[in-house]
Amino acid sequence: MKRQIPLIIIITMGFMFVAHSFIPHKVSADFFDWFQDWVKAVSPFAVSLGIMSLFMVHGTKIKRKVPNWQYSVITLSGLIFTALAGFIWGTHVGTPYMWLFENVQMPMSATMFALLAFYIASAAYKAFRARSAEATVLLIAAVIVMLGQVPLGAMISKWIPEASTWILNVPNLAAKRAIMIGVGLGITATSLKILLGIERTYLGGGD
Amino acid sequence: MNKNVIKFFDKIQNIDRRYIYIVVAFSIIIPLLIPFNSPTYVTKPTSDIYKKIDSFAGDKTKAILMSFTHDASTMPELFPMEVSVLRHCFERDIKVFMICWLPAAAPLVDYAINTAKEDFDVQAGVDYCNFGYKPWVLRLPIMLGMGDDVAKAVKTDSQGRKVENLEIMKNIKNYDDLNLVIDFAASSSAIQWITYARARFGANIAAGVTAVMVADNYPYLHTGQLMGMFRGLKGAAEYEKMVDVFAAYESEDHPNGRPFSKEIIKETSVPITGDTVPYKYKKARIGMNAQSVAHIMMIFFILLGNIGYFITRKKEL
Repeated sequence: MKRQIPLIIIITMGFMFVAHSFIPHKVSADFFDWFQDWVKAVSPFAVSLGIMSLFMVHGTKIKRKVPNWQYSVITLSGLIFTALAGFIWGTHVGTPYMWLFENVQMPMSATMFALLAFYIASAAYKAFRARSAEATVLLIAAVIVMLGQVPLGAMISKWIPEASTWILNVPNLAAKRAIMIGVGLGITATSLKILLGIERTYLGGGD
Repeated sequence: MNKNVIKFFDKIQNIDRRYIYIVVAFSIIIPLLIPFNSPTYVTKPTSDIYKKIDSFAGDKTKAILMSFTHDASTMPELFPMEVSVLRHCFERDIKVFMICWLPAAAPLVDYAINTAKEDFDVQAGVDYCNFGYKPWVLRLPIMLGMGDDVAKAVKTDSQGRKVENLEIMKNIKNYDDLNLVIDFAASSSAIQWITYARARFGANIAAGVTAVMVADNYPYLHTGQLMGMFRGLKGAAEYEKMVDVFAAYESEDHPNGRPFSKEIIKETSVPITGDTVPYKYKKARIGMNAQSVAHIMMIFFILLGNIGYFITRKKEL
């Protein structure tokens, strides 16, 4: 029963949504409204589950004093303090919550993302070597796209941005579309297998 | 060939990454601290969005929806786009709605509104409306629900007021009126808008994405499913310039901005070194200077590595 009931729910709901997409009837519209209300009611539980999980994982780390357990203290303190700041003083401009966002989260997140520039520069220097014909094509395409992305490219020649657009519009597009068609077919096949009850690994429990 | 020369070229093939980091750091920091004027060439994917938004100017039966699907990490690229679009809407009296799907994006929406609205006499619920944070799991029902009735799909705004009672909702019912959705993201999340809002209800969809995500979104731009796209910081810089040149332009003939013109945008250069344009409205263009120098340095390093590689290989042969 532990596997059959979820399976029945998934297959029934799956077929009902397929029907909803293709049948523009009042019953179909009412079903969708009913579904919306249920989703709204269920989603807060996902947040509770996430918070519980975070406390359990990091609580255990702190209790057992595993290596670097101090980071878990910071994680949980951050969660508690930010949540309290939001609940007590609100989240509008001028509140401690907004101060935390502007002075802690914003610069820290941007710093993490900005590190990418350094890694890309170093990786590009090491990787873009004209060791073979394919590598040379990659190298030339990279230089053209990099120049086409900045005003300097157009200042050197109006053909550089044009060539950059061509690379993005033709070879890049062809490869992207091929990948997307493959992924699309894969999703369709997997969805059908789930709807028909052939694919059951998502239920867990082996076999 | 001299042994020392060979040694030198061997070395430039294997420069310590720390030197590369230092050069990249300076090539970004210096242009940010000392802005200089550089040309901004406007491309079609950006100008198409401008023209679409501008076509709603003064029309109380049309509005745009800005969807925030990113957090603070990608702010340097996406935030200038958002501020520019808001500035455009406020300048040209266009109704604008905002919604966000990540808890970390909620303060971003407030920050964007506060940055842009300081210079305008605009009011929440009248000229703009922030729907606030809606959980990701509700994205699909809200996207689909807005196709029938926006006020029913999003019942309250960020301040807890009933959306249906807001003045801004007059003449705004569904995607026929909320006719342009711009999804700002560091991913391909605009695809969901294409799948559910465009395919089913015919809404116009545009995307504002980080430069690394541009290639992923190109297929949709090519087919017209995306009517326009801000392509990273470059797209933001282009939009900033367009708002300066057209929407924020004031003269006796055009007291509330002037209409888009290819000739004017081609010929006009907006200086960013003086005080003509406030700093918050030229952030992307200053950032583009840093990006230009960083790209040049990267190309320089790539060339250096290849020169070293060819010379040492020639010697080996």
